[in-house]
Amino acid sequence: MAKVLVREAARTQVVGQGVPRLDAEAKVKGQARYADDLSFPGMLYGKAIRSERPHARIRRLDLSRVLAHPKVACVVTAKDIPGRNCVPIIYEDMPLLAEEIVRYVGEPIALLAAETREDAEEAARLASIEYEDLPAVFDPLEALRPGAPQVAVPTAAERGNLFNHMVIRKGDVARGFAEADVIVEGEYRVGYQEHAYLETQGVIAVPEENGIAVYGTLQCPFYVQRAVAAVLGLPLSRVRVVQTATGGGFGGKEDVPSQVAAMAAVLAWRSGRPVKVVYDREEDILTTSKRHPAIVRYKTGAKRDGTLTAVEVEFYYNAGAYQTLSSAVLWRGLVHAAGPYRIPHVKVDGYSVATNTVPCGAFRGFGSPQVIFAHEAQMDELARRLGMDPLELRQKNALREGDETATAQVLTESVGLLSCIERAKELSRWEERKQKVAEFNARERFRKRGLGVSTVMYGVGMGAKAPLLDKAGAYVKLEADGSITVAVGNTEMGQGAMTVLAQIAAEALEVPLSVIQMAPVDTSRVPDSGPTVASRTTTVQGLAVLDAARKLKAKINRAVQEILGCPAFVVEGRSFCDPKDPRRRVTLEEVARWMWVHNWDMGATGWAEAAPVDWDPKTGLGNAYFVYAFACHIAEVEVDILTGEAHVRGFWAVHDSGRIVNPKTAWGQVAGGIAQGIGYALLEELQAKEGRILYPTFTAYHIPTTLDMPEELVIDFVEAPYSGGPYGAKGLGEVPLMASHAAVANAISAATGGRLREYPALPERVLALLEGEK
Amino acid sequence: MRLRPIPAVKPRSLEEALRYLEEGGRPLAGGTDLLVAIRKGQEKPELLVYVGELPELRILREGPEGLEIGAALTHAELLVHPATERFPILRAVLRTIGSPAIRAMGTLGGNLVTASPAGDSLVALSLLEARVRLVGPRGERELPIPEFLVGPRKTALERGELVRSVFLPYPEGHPRSFFRKVGRRRALIIAVASLGALVWVRDGRVERARLALGSVAPTVLRPRDVEEALVGRPLAPEAWEDLVPVLSAATQPISDLRATAEYRRKVAGRLLLALAEALQAGP
Ligand SMILES: Cc1cc2nc3c(=O)[nH]c(=O)nc-3n(C[C@H](O)[C@H](O)[C@H](O)COP(=O)(O)OP(=O)(O)OC[C@H]3O[C@@H](n4cnc5c(N)ncnc54)[C@H](O)[C@@H]3O)c2cc1C
Repeated sequence: MAKVLVREAARTQVVGQGVPRLDAEAKVKGQARYADDLSFPGMLYGKAIRSERPHARIRRLDLSRVLAHPKVACVVTAKDIPGRNCVPIIYEDMPLLAEEIVRYVGEPIALLAAETREDAEEAARLASIEYEDLPAVFDPLEALRPGAPQVAVPTAAERGNLFNHMVIRKGDVARGFAEADVIVEGEYRVGYQEHAYLETQGVIAVPEENGIAVYGTLQCPFYVQRAVAAVLGLPLSRVRVVQTATGGGFGGKEDVPSQVAAMAAVLAWRSGRPVKVVYDREEDILTTSKRHPAIVRYKTGAKRDGTLTAVEVEFYYNAGAYQTLSSAVLWRGLVHAAGPYRIPHVKVDGYSVATNTVPCGAFRGFGSPQVIFAHEAQMDELARRLGMDPLELRQKNALREGDETATAQVLTESVGLLSCIERAKELSRWEERKQKVAEFNARERFRKRGLGVSTVMYGVGMGAKAPLLDKAGAYVKLEADGSITVAVGNTEMGQGAMTVLAQIAAEALEVPLSVIQMAPVDTSRVPDSGPTVASRTTTVQGLAVLDAARKLKAKINRAVQEILGCPAFVVEGRSFCDPKDPRRRVTLEEVARWMWVHNWDMGATGWAEAAPVDWDPKTGLGNAYFVYAFACHIAEVEVDILTGEAHVRGFWAVHDSGRIVNPKTAWGQVAGGIAQGIGYALLEELQAKEGRILYPTFTAYHIPTTLDMPEELVIDFVEAPYSGGPYGAKGLGEVPLMASHAAVANAISAATGGRLREYPALPERVLALLEGEK
Repeated sequence: MRLRPIPAVKPRSLEEALRYLEEGGRPLAGGTDLLVAIRKGQEKPELLVYVGELPELRILREGPEGLEIGAALTHAELLVHPATERFPILRAVLRTIGSPAIRAMGTLGGNLVTASPAGDSLVALSLLEARVRLVGPRGERELPIPEFLVGPRKTALERGELVRSVFLPYPEGHPRSFFRKVGRRRALIIAVASLGALVWVRDGRVERARLALGSVAPTVLRPRDVEEALVGRPLAPEAWEDLVPVLSAATQPISDLRATAEYRRKVAGRLLLALAEALQAGP
């Protein structure tokens, strides 16, 4: 068994402490200022005029009545964009405003700014657009058929509507299946998942003397900076992006704010006035990115003793009308398709396909939950066929240190998967619980219970598809009064990043946490630090903070040595003292004052670059990510066999994310991920027809409430430290959601005796499973 | 979409309120139904008349025959008031309405006048054979629930009239109460189907039963044939099986975004077994 440090005695002071979130008080008191709370003198309200058709040629665009509205200050069409008509993300196929062709319902065609929000909404309805409908396609398999309507912008597609096709070819699956005693096969389908962040999209663009400033709710300020510079035709140095308090992101504020900000910026530039664009819930659900709907096919082989021999996977992601982040989402799905298992023969084909639907994008897990649903269902089907305990089957095949992943990457360190499984087994009292569930099912007439398991791995950081983004900068400065300011380029969106980064700074500087103040994120403060995504902030941004803090610490140490006149000293709270003569001491405030008086440079910059990765697109082999996080989840559900209602009663989640910097915020991440996973597997359904989302409200789209959370919820961490992370930390953010839904899905299958192959497991679907639809 | 301001008044007395209503005003209590409908553009009132704090609508009077509940009392208020203790079915139902925030704003009168096929309180009011007390320009009148609820989202309320209160007669003896609301999640959910029951039990058998179904017909449904067929039956699901299809057949469900008619029909019948099981398990 791999050696893993379980709860290694903390050798740190601040790192490892469950300190309360630094932003908690302001948020609880209602003092945090979100995008819509901000207002600037002379501010206008911007609004998009959007396509009502899924695929059409714009015959005539008549905005005369919009212009005639007395409260409209500015109207913009594609030809009024000062820079390029493009929202640059990975590809450059998506225009800011459609010119000739619209490709999805809700695509922006024109923009207006008016004196009030109500005026803007009213004026937007005055636009008159004549369309010539074009044949449209909504299903990815249909979109790939010869003769399907052409949706994709040709320069952004491999061919036809195929945005991207990516592969893994490892070993020889034909041989692998020939060696197998048991083979299971299945097709699995999932629909959209909506982010449902509390705060909808919102930005304010403010023209400044030398350029433009953009304030907004966003994850990736440097993406927004690039998009705004592109549409305005300005150098990056004249665009400044400031993040406002952000009410949730989950990936939904990775690329979408670039579009929203570009709209506001063009209007602000044209009108010369600040322009606010804030979506209401309907507009947000209708027009912003979601998790990709998917069709996923698996075939998995194993020997009689459970040893996996081969897996073959084919999956299709419905990308929507433009590329946005789909190629990266597809790639993560590809790399994660084989799961956290040792499999000698692997063949994976992933396809992302253009259709006349709203572009999908990033969502916690980023293309992995869809394949995880399938690979964990396959593991369960195998266990059933082999008559094996599902945990034991996973234990048997779990990746260990020294093993090769599906991309032939050798895992050299920090592989805590087996420890996760063992701990989850122990915490859930697995054997006893299995017994109890069996007794319950024998006794009860109208209720059945089931246990479900999932194990996952997660490649931390951007990975080999986008290594140039995996970097971060930090600036740490000691103020003249001994307080410390830390500036970073990654963002807080409710996940606790600022707290954890401050803890890392405090630890490295050997100062109390209260001394540290995190500066608002502003692109003008630090170099491009990449996006706040991919569970990379603690690891990569944390390293940059550590780097800066260590450099500053060295300066402080030198100053203390000069002041005390001794080469060594000890730190006691905010004081430094001579070990030989403890009365000789100097406080941090005095040191800072001394440095200031002596004209010392009191700042330090830090930089981090993720460890190198590599990848061969032809074979799909290589070192895909610099390190992996792992988890094992166990769910117990109860289904009502009269109604098909399902409820998760118990949940046991164990994670290896390396060293846990803050156990409290980490607990919150896991609990939230469990809730989102319960929603994905059981509740969340966004009905759409011919490219139209039918009910864009929370009355129809059901996210879980506190009452839908399990009565018994146990969360724990095993810590397999990562030598390349700050104090041994790896990433955690996305992992809980990735694992949780699959455990719930497997528990539903166990309780019903059927096999859940499509999300969500709504009561009607559960009844069908109970009644023998396999 | 944002709301354009709508003129609103806050009358100090019932009389004043009725005058505004005569001028075409629309009663507003908690607003948890009406404001949603206005926002969706389904309702376009010219004048809102806030009745939520009218003293006449906020009474709670325990009489010898029953309890009179002011229409403007909120679900949350009714849930904690000692006077509702004698009506466990009412509490069981109110507890499932919306969320704490919705229960703190929403009123019994509002739920009644909205007359949604999924209106949860209607199940309890129907089981308790409540009477609705109306007041209008031509004085007061009282209607039993079935006469008040004339169809989906339609009531016998006339222009200018207000629901003043609801009268709940004390049920005879000590019936057992049951309420089960089926939906996609455990809170903040509109019923896909619901079954409420008052069952009088004697010597392990049903002496008398009242059943009411929500969300499976244009309005709350009392399946009298099933109620009668239950009399004399032992408290055991297996002894009720034959009535499951009968109850299903009594429903007239529709398909909508929440469920298909087929599912509703099936589940409505099966809830009878859940009731039997609950009765069998004991109080
Ligand atoms: C998120 C959410 C969840 C909900 N969940 C549920 C649920 O689970 N179950 C359920 O049954 N309902 C639910 N509702 C609906 C609503 O909350 C209830 O129907 C509530 O009881 C309505 O009361 P109100 O005081 O808010 O009514 P209002 O919105 O103020 O009024 C509703 C209607 O009644 C009229 N009216 C109000 N008072 C009087 C009066 N005294 N005389 C005459 N007419 C009057 C109004 O003119 C209007 O037509 C939910 C609503 C929301 C927004």
